[in-house]
Amino acid sequence: MSFDTHRTWVYRISGRNINLYQYLEGAASDTLAGYRIKLPNEYYGNQLIYPDETITDGLRYEGTAFIEPFVDVDPSELDGNDNPTLTDQTSPDESDHINLNRMLSLAVVDYLKAMVSEQAGQIEMKEYYMKQFWKKVGDNESNKRKMSITFPISPFGVR
Amino acid sequence: MTVLEAMERVGLKETTLAVAWIKDAIHLIQSQHDENLGSWKTDIADGTRDYPFPANMIKLKSISVKDTTDSKYKKIRRIVHEPVMTEDTDPE
Repeated sequence: MSFDTHRTWVYRISGRNINLYQYLEGAASDTLAGYRIKLPNEYYGNQLIYPDETITDGLRYEGTAFIEPFVDVDPSELDGNDNPTLTDQTSPDESDHINLNRMLSLAVVDYLKAMVSEQAGQIEMKEYYMKQFWKKVGDNESNKRKMSITFPISPFGVR
Repeated sequence: MTVLEAMERVGLKETTLAVAWIKDAIHLIQSQHDENLGSWKTDIADGTRDYPFPANMIKLKSISVKDTTDSKYKKIRRIVHEPVMTEDTDPE
């Protein structure tokens, strides 16, 4: 029975794997009738141990991924009042949509221009378009955030 | 935006090359920003320490372990130091 997993489990990155450990304080433990008990004769001090139980679907990763890069309909257009239903296109062709919003799709166009410039040996043009690419990616990111900045007005400030 | 529209804006003729570059661009975006997040679950096996990253994951955001007492996944911490134990041949 795993409990307080945010305190009692840790991980370490090792190449393309993670090493998963349980953090054990004081003694070896075991599960008896569903209760976790310390084994009195096995004192080890604080230590890391390999996972000592099987948990179905116990490990959860969250991250960015290559998920449905091409879809059958425009992901930026509503279907009536609902979000569009997107179907992944595993063998994309010219009629398929890039699964990005409008701003990021424009960024992708800049990336394509950068690659075409690089092929033509126009490195300065490539750098210019890559700058435009990252600028649009950054703009898209800031579109999701609303920030307000407050400045105090000086006593003699002109209003 | 369709692949064709992107190609026409650039003046590209080769669809295969355009699709490959679009994939590269998406990869770059996903490497820097959390644009399209996914989650993956796998079993934890008793006595097994090593678990591979999901094959299609680009950037790791968090790792959680299921707390079976309340069925919630809780974020776990990453240890930065190198453990003294390099391998446990008898984990039980």
